[in-house]
Amino acid sequence: MQLGETSELGVLVNIGFFAFIIIFSLYGAKFQMWQWLKQIEAGLHELKRMFIESRQTAIDTFKEFGRSEEEVAKDLDRWMDYFTIMPVDLDPAGILKRLDHLLDERRDRFQEFVAEIAPESAESMNQNLENTLEVTQVLGLIFRVVRHFYLLGKKTGSQIMIMQIQMQMPDLLRLAKAYFDALSAFSQGKPIGDGIGPLVVTKFAREYGGTPENYNHEISREVGYYKVEAEGRTVYALRATGPGGTVGKPGFAVKKLVDEFGDKVTRIITIDAALKLEGEELGRVSEGTGAAIGDLGPEKHAMEQTATERGIGIEAIVIKEDEAAAVGVMDKRILDAVPEVIERIKTSILKRTKPGDSVILAGIGNTIGIGL
Amino acid sequence: MGIASKVLGLVFAAIGFIVLWWGMGTSGPLTYVWTFLGMFVMASGFALLTSGRQQKEVKPPPPTVTEIRCNSCDFKEIRDFQKGDYVLKTVEASCPKCQASMTIEGVYIVREEPDDKDKI
Repeated sequence: MQLGETSELGVLVNIGFFAFIIIFSLYGAKFQMWQWLKQIEAGLHELKRMFIESRQTAIDTFKEFGRSEEEVAKDLDRWMDYFTIMPVDLDPAGILKRLDHLLDERRDRFQEFVAEIAPESAESMNQNLENTLEVTQVLGLIFRVVRHFYLLGKKTGSQIMIMQIQMQMPDLLRLAKAYFDALSAFSQGKPIGDGIGPLVVTKFAREYGGTPENYNHEISREVGYYKVEAEGRTVYALRATGPGGTVGKPGFAVKKLVDEFGDKVTRIITIDAALKLEGEELGRVSEGTGAAIGDLGPEKHAMEQTATERGIGIEAIVIKEDEAAAVGVMDKRILDAVPEVIERIKTSILKRTKPGDSVILAGIGNTIGIGL
Repeated sequence: MGIASKVLGLVFAAIGFIVLWWGMGTSGPLTYVWTFLGMFVMASGFALLTSGRQQKEVKPPPPTVTEIRCNSCDFKEIRDFQKGDYVLKTVEASCPKCQASMTIEGVYIVREEPDDKDKI
């Protein structure tokens, strides 16, 4: 029996065959959309689970500091929608100053909220609670944005919208999982991978006599420094003040230090965690030129501007990490990179500065769980 | 899905394959019917075999440990993380070897090394 045969069964088979082709050519895309929507739905359920569990963890953490679970839950839900409007960039003049102002204002509001919701918490714990709040907020935001595109794509039947969200889903899930896994670190005050910069700076300073007692507080918001003599040079080793979770404003601290100690500063060395490429080893140390700081702009600008105006050499030593390691509890391989980074700092100081010079060593990162 | 469904899937797939093979080899009026039926039964068998595949077991995160070192000798102690621990904190207990003060040198986790099958 062949296609095109005129027997009764042959006609039926022909009809079935052509119906199959017509249905799939007309509705193939619909089938695919249905498949994509199912995949997005599965991802959305996972995102929702992570958000709900992180919200509960945040509630459990906050309720230990003086308010009832109901009060905390109510206030937390109100705060989940908190947003920051980026400054207008049609007229870019002065945008960094405006952005810095908005970020300060945002930070003030976060601190105010945490003080309200956890009245019995100490200052360093307040910073950890702020971080916990931010992680919960990020997970809520990812869930709500994905849900928005899923529902909108379904409503409008927009294939491109659904396709984009389906293709981005593995990445979004990976990011959300990294933050979700990090929540216990933030709520319990454990050091995270991003804190390697401040840790290196403190260990370096301690080698040359730096102690919590001779740490100079608040050169800029939540940032201080040790003044130590190393290899015949004066080193201003600055970092955000821990062990609470904060990154502070290290860019402006560098600017202030240079303004204060001016001409003697001949080199700025920044230490930070940097995203590793897939295939690279976790904790690998790399160095380069420029300011290693991953803020939205104002801090990095302050450092670059200061270095450029005064003709100061600026270099970066970074420790390679993936997203999960950067926001999760510090991995042993990251901690093991500390001696190598300190060696590279010493080499840089010896090679590129002269005895009597001053050097600024800036440890950039979140100081959660890292003491002075 | 348990082992029964896997066995059933295997049986279905085998029967489907035989029917498909036989259908393709005959020249009677029902060739197409046997061919499609064979394909359908085989596909059902494969579906049973692969459905309900166990999701990758989610491993619990490795425990966080605190590494404490003596400030003057080589004594080192590693214990579970306790709330309030932070790196560079001076602990209350003194060194059991030399009675000097001790400091927390690290709070960390030790992750398993990933498979090196993709190592290039």
